[in-house]
Amino acid sequence: MTELLSTNYRPLLAILCPTIVSFLILLSGRRPNLRESWTIIGSILLFLIVLSMTPFVLREGPIKCSLFKLFPGIDFAFNVDAFGLIFATTSSCLWILVSLYSIGYMRGLEEHAQTRYYFCFALAILGATGIALSANLVTMFIFYEILTISTYPLVAHDETPEAIYGGHKYLAYLLTAGVFFLLGILVIYFLVGTTDFNPHGILKPALGSTSRLVLQALFFVFMLGFMKAAWMPVHSWLPTAMVAPTPVSALLHAVAVVKAGVFGIIRTVCYVYGIDLMHELGLGLALGFLASFTIIVANLYAIGQTNLKRLLAYSTINQLSLIILGAAILSPMAVTGAMIHIPFHGFMKITLFLCAGAIIVATGKTEIYQMAGIGRQMPKTMLAFTIAAFGMCGAPPVAGFISKWHFCLGAIQSGQIFFLLIILVGSLLDVIYLFPVIRKAFFEKIPKIELYKEDIEEKVEVFGSEKLEVVETKRPLYLFMIVPLSVTAIFSLILCLFPNTFHIYDLAQMAIKDIFGGM
Amino acid sequence: MERIISHSPVLIVVIPLISAFLTLVIGLWKKRLCYPFVIIALSLSLFSCIVTLNTVMKSGTIHYYLGNWDPPWGIEYVVDHLNALVLVFVSFISLMVAIYSKESIEQEIPEKVTFFYTVFLLQVTGLLGIVVTGDMFNLYVFLEIASLAGYALIAIGEDGAPLASFRYVVMGTIGACFYLLGVGYLYIMTGSLNMADLTHLLPNLYHSKVIMVAFVFFIVGVAIKMALFPLHAWLPDAYTHAPSAVSALLAPLMTKVGVYVLIRILFTVFRPEFPIKILHATDIMAWFGTFAILFGGIMALSQTDFKRMLCYIIVAEIGYMVGGIGMANATAIKGAIFHIINDMFMAACLFLIAGIVMHETGGHDISDFTGMFRRMPFTAAIFTIGALAVIGVPPTCGFFSKWYLLLGGIQARHWGFVMALLLCTLINVALFFRVIDKGLYVHALEHKLEHASEPKELQFHEAPLSMLIPGFIIAIAIFLIGIFNQAILKNIIEFAVPSGL
Repeated sequence: MTELLSTNYRPLLAILCPTIVSFLILLSGRRPNLRESWTIIGSILLFLIVLSMTPFVLREGPIKCSLFKLFPGIDFAFNVDAFGLIFATTSSCLWILVSLYSIGYMRGLEEHAQTRYYFCFALAILGATGIALSANLVTMFIFYEILTISTYPLVAHDETPEAIYGGHKYLAYLLTAGVFFLLGILVIYFLVGTTDFNPHGILKPALGSTSRLVLQALFFVFMLGFMKAAWMPVHSWLPTAMVAPTPVSALLHAVAVVKAGVFGIIRTVCYVYGIDLMHELGLGLALGFLASFTIIVANLYAIGQTNLKRLLAYSTINQLSLIILGAAILSPMAVTGAMIHIPFHGFMKITLFLCAGAIIVATGKTEIYQMAGIGRQMPKTMLAFTIAAFGMCGAPPVAGFISKWHFCLGAIQSGQIFFLLIILVGSLLDVIYLFPVIRKAFFEKIPKIELYKEDIEEKVEVFGSEKLEVVETKRPLYLFMIVPLSVTAIFSLILCLFPNTFHIYDLAQMAIKDIFGGM
Repeated sequence: MERIISHSPVLIVVIPLISAFLTLVIGLWKKRLCYPFVIIALSLSLFSCIVTLNTVMKSGTIHYYLGNWDPPWGIEYVVDHLNALVLVFVSFISLMVAIYSKESIEQEIPEKVTFFYTVFLLQVTGLLGIVVTGDMFNLYVFLEIASLAGYALIAIGEDGAPLASFRYVVMGTIGACFYLLGVGYLYIMTGSLNMADLTHLLPNLYHSKVIMVAFVFFIVGVAIKMALFPLHAWLPDAYTHAPSAVSALLAPLMTKVGVYVLIRILFTVFRPEFPIKILHATDIMAWFGTFAILFGGIMALSQTDFKRMLCYIIVAEIGYMVGGIGMANATAIKGAIFHIINDMFMAACLFLIAGIVMHETGGHDISDFTGMFRRMPFTAAIFTIGALAVIGVPPTCGFFSKWYLLLGGIQARHWGFVMALLLCTLINVALFFRVIDKGLYVHALEHKLEHASEPKELQFHEAPLSMLIPGFIIAIAIFLIGIFNQAILKNIIEFAVPSGL
């Protein structure tokens, strides 16, 4: 029994936890409180398991756990290394918070099919954790497909024609990506006989047997396989998927799906191709241009959005390509920035989305032009929003500052001034579309007509001043929403002051040492 | 016990054969005893198959002489790793379908239960006999037994079944006759009907025109039997209109046994260099396989009837296997052989579900799947597993055979086949998620049904256990075969790949 708790089996425990939780959820469909308890207990347990692996990995290196043979030379195996732990920590911590939030959101809106919702959520976290901990491309592929398929009913949850269309588009893009991913894996297996992740890359030997063009084309095939990272022009599934309930959007855009995409890209760049080979094939520049294009264009799209969630979607596309750009710059500081931006952006983005959802539940408003003066009605919510928005633009004292600092230094380190400019221009554009929301929320007067709408129960006499009833704590259920988003906002601040919370920075340093060691 | 083990190859066939006649007698006496008797017979047959596989794995190929007559004058049963594997799974699936068939048959053809089970057992005899035999003409005999039983079973279905069966009779008989012609030519040229014997006698004759023509007759005959595009036209109607239990039996088994016969003729009777280097038949097969995949996929997309959609998926799956054989390298053939097994399970699973839906709603259209996840959650779960297997999502078995087929295609640089396989994966996604959508998204329907807290149409009404349990077993097997694929591949299929590839 104690052997089961030994570190070697922790990855297996980490995978079993969400699996068992999902079955328990299915069984407790008729008792909502029990069902939700499974989710909360499971998420806390998962977070503790992941945290417990961190000190071990920092001291002694990766935990290897191989389960059974899939193909000759490929096992269904886990290799818990520093980089994987960063992603696993992010997803498990945010699962706790989003689950709490979901309770408030789903019950607040009296949503249907809640068992299906929590079941698919648990499976999605299974997928994300599996991706984080997998030892080779095939194991990662298995969890990739689990992630895609389990999030499909979540996207189409509302079951309106738009929701089903969004779900179909989501599935079409991401399963097509899966096919490309599979093709890439097969070619790699065909070329070098293994798909295991190695900090120095595994494809170098293939240079002898195939041409450079084949390897470059193969990288592009992998990029198509990672459409989850929403790079342009294969990004459009993401804004369409905003039709999902907000906790799902928070999950998609902060925790599981998109981060799995960029995680896969960084794995491919550093652990399959390796920094050396990327330099030799000139792929860093190509990837960098692709990412730069996305950063600028996504921000330009964001400026023109009126729907808050769509605006946040484009902001996500921009930030994800920032991570890709960090990896593409191929210098230690930039890749560090990419790795730490995964959790940092996760916390900040989730704050923004949770705020958007709270606004929808409390006031029913989805468009920015409706949100004049909402800072008065929902002060805590909008304060959290403001903190996170500052972080998005890279302003201290919020976490985004740390990662953007690393990106810029990384670009300077490798002498790529063009990319430095892209990062700075991108940050400027971030300000252009995020700050108007804040301004509208806090500094605009609510037109008098607003006051007589049904959503404010007591008509308050206002004579041109802004005394208004606070809506966000009207129902106790809303606490389930306010607490998580405040926690994530506070974390966004903490992560800036103490980037080593949950050992995130140490893990990143360790991963960088492995990748760049000997260079 | 020793005697049973030594006679197990022939017991595999004799037990269902004798039981068929006994079933008729028993059924005429007491109808209710038919079903348990059939289950016992098929279980015994499965047991003999397992014993045979065990013997083959321990001591190598079994040569069994019927009636102790020496070959090549007597009929010889040769069981090597390939047959043994296929035998076990053919009898396993037959047993599962037999267990499942009770409720289905009682609802669809209640007045013909005895005759159904008799012919069912004859069908299984035929299928098992095709796989176990080592004699060319004996194979024809069992082929005809299986086919005739199949024609009869299909014809007792719903409207349109007799006509569909008649088309099958015409095309199937042509196929069997072509096969017979091939056997005849071989006999004229070599004087032997024994497969092992022919392997030695034929190499001298590889450049003879008669042998080449014989080969072509074989291939076309088998192609009709296994519904390779464009000779597949009998399949959609036949399997759609047949009774549910019949489709569930025939769809997984009949066509895959045809693929087995193809492998035998191509690589055991004729050595690999004949189809690959001398005739270049494998190149042609690779392209036919590719077109079959594309054709099957596209036709399946346009169907609104669930069973018909499955039929076209079967056509595409046969394309996978024939294309895999056409790649002519060890990896692809491993994939094709493994896919024979996997497709048996996937097709059985899906046709079982079609039968369950038919039992519950009276139809097999896609619209009959509405609200399935609410009404029949276990059935829906089994369906999802079958769907994911056909799509090729790991860790179901479908992924693993697709991997080998794709890898074989890349090794052979046949990008058409690789692209067709990948495209078909996406087409399968569209096909099955269409049905899953119908089953899953009931919210709008609930509203329409006037806010009843549990509208009658969406009440929980699961299938009877005798139909669910085989479904569960097959679904679990789909996972287990996938997860433990290396055990099957390393211990059995490695030895089944023809040498010289």
